[in-house]
Amino acid sequence: MNEGKNGNIIVTEDLTKTYSDEGVPVLAVRGVDLAIRSGEFAAIVGPSGSGKTTFLNIISGLDKATEGKVWLRGQLLSEMNARELSDFRRDNIGFIFQAYNLIPVLTVEENIEYIMLLQGVPKKERHERVMKILKDVELEGFEGRRPPQLSGGQQQRVAIARAMVSQPALILADEPTANLDSKTGGALVDMMRELNEKTGMTFIFSTHDHTVMRKARRLISLRDGQVASDEVRD
Amino acid sequence: MIRTYIKLAWRNIFRNKRRSFIAGTAIGIGLASLIFVDALIIGMERNMIHSATSSFLGEGQIHGEGFRKTQEVEKTINRLDWIVSNLNQETIVKHFTLRVMSFAMISSASNMSAISLVGVVPSTERHLSQIDEALREGSYFEEGAGRNIIIGSKLAEILEVGLDDRIVITVAQAETGDLSQEMFRVSGIYHFNVQEMDRGMAFVRLEKAQQMLGIGDDVHEIAINFTDPRFGQDENLPFWKKYSQYGNNAEGFTDILPQLKGALEISTFSTYIVGLILFGVVALGIINTLFMSLHERMFEFGVLRAVGTRPFGIARLIIFEAGALAVLSIGIGIMLGFLITYITSKVGIDYTGIEFAGITFRELLYPVLKLKQFIFYPFWVFVFTEIAGIYPAVYAARIVPADAMRKSL
Repeated sequence: MNEGKNGNIIVTEDLTKTYSDEGVPVLAVRGVDLAIRSGEFAAIVGPSGSGKTTFLNIISGLDKATEGKVWLRGQLLSEMNARELSDFRRDNIGFIFQAYNLIPVLTVEENIEYIMLLQGVPKKERHERVMKILKDVELEGFEGRRPPQLSGGQQQRVAIARAMVSQPALILADEPTANLDSKTGGALVDMMRELNEKTGMTFIFSTHDHTVMRKARRLISLRDGQVASDEVRD
Repeated sequence: MIRTYIKLAWRNIFRNKRRSFIAGTAIGIGLASLIFVDALIIGMERNMIHSATSSFLGEGQIHGEGFRKTQEVEKTINRLDWIVSNLNQETIVKHFTLRVMSFAMISSASNMSAISLVGVVPSTERHLSQIDEALREGSYFEEGAGRNIIIGSKLAEILEVGLDDRIVITVAQAETGDLSQEMFRVSGIYHFNVQEMDRGMAFVRLEKAQQMLGIGDDVHEIAINFTDPRFGQDENLPFWKKYSQYGNNAEGFTDILPQLKGALEISTFSTYIVGLILFGVVALGIINTLFMSLHERMFEFGVLRAVGTRPFGIARLIIFEAGALAVLSIGIGIMLGFLITYITSKVGIDYTGIEFAGITFRELLYPVLKLKQFIFYPFWVFVFTEIAGIYPAVYAARIVPADAMRKSL
């Protein structure tokens, strides 16, 4: 497994992103230098507009930096074209979205196995892996249901299962608990942390929920697009 | 993976049932119109051919060379016996009849008019023309009545004559040009609802016409009906070559009536134009539907791209959605098209009395259902739908995941 230099899964160098908002340039991320080690459970925190989402978009190859570089598992993202980035994301990153973003016309099982379909995993193996991950996220027996038939918490657990089933090196989650009540949100983060410990996958998630922040082992605080603090905790 | 995309596309089409049904119905109406127009054009062609050939023309004719152009009575058919004996043995010939034709002057006590005098063999003429069926008064040629003449209703009006009235026919004899006059008795008055025939033609027995014109046993025209009317349209039929020798010309009805050929070509061209317009409307409908669906689900496409779907995969999904919409539309279109065409093919459409390209519709127009209408047009609707889907597909493939999910990850 190539984790890049010094066991870092992500390294950013002078990362800058400028948007044009109705002709007015907006500096969303400014000169961020950061290294995240493989297996970390890190939270990107900060108020709205601090650049959390933009930062996550750039380190996952969903958006391009205006300046600076990103290495993910030792690969320089700016050197990849759209197709290579798609394949790289498919094989290395699992995404969890704030609004779950499951495909409503597919069943729970079909949603979870979608990435494995893209990877060309055989049918039998797909099914076995889906069943195993559903057990891990405590959704056994829900495989035939469609997302609209599930609660918010259940949908987010399906989203976690979808992100993890292909065993990527990195899980990125943008405000994964924002649409959930505090109890469900807390339970979800506990589950993510447990999976992180169990599988060794790297989890990076953005949040402004203090309950969630407390559960992170590393807290990277962004303010006005810059790293304001970077605290590692036990 | 393809199966998943097909499944996804099909289910996506039914996510917004009302919109898909409205779009499918719009495209389906386009398809149904194409099926109906095609059936109508076939019916119209058949009707025109039937109207043109069955009243008098026949599906093919043989003349002496130059007769059709000059109408000179000397230009009779050569080697008539050989032709008649061969025609009797032709398997594709259903019926044929001999005719003598000449310009003539017809006069009554009140008036006179220039006409086309036609000498016919009553027994065989029945199979080629509908003079007997079009008789409004009197009767068809009775045995032994050599001086009987049948004229059109309009001509009778001009001459102010009725049944049993006497009229005089004057013709110029062949070779000498001497005038020959005979008195006839009006034995029948027909009405075809075709101006040219109702006021400009008169029919007498063949022998009488031959005698007046001094052409012995010769004739000017042999009108033919085939076992299949399409033989009359087939320019490559060996029949025409065989009988276009010894100074004669054999031609199908499309050569004899070039305006009919033109009208048939216009009909075919009209189908293409109607098809093009309908396909254009259909294409815009599809693009609109796909774009509406695409913008509604922009977030979802962003997610699909984020989790590793290649741009081509997204494009393929849209193309499959266009295909699913096409299948739905084709189902609706085929049902509507069949229903409308079947009903009108039984009831008929009344175009009688309307003249087009010199041919007057004399019977109800019946659209003709053909299997190819339900294969050819649906196939093209499918192809067009897929082509129309390319633009939204390319647009979706170019989506930047971060832009599509701006408010999410």
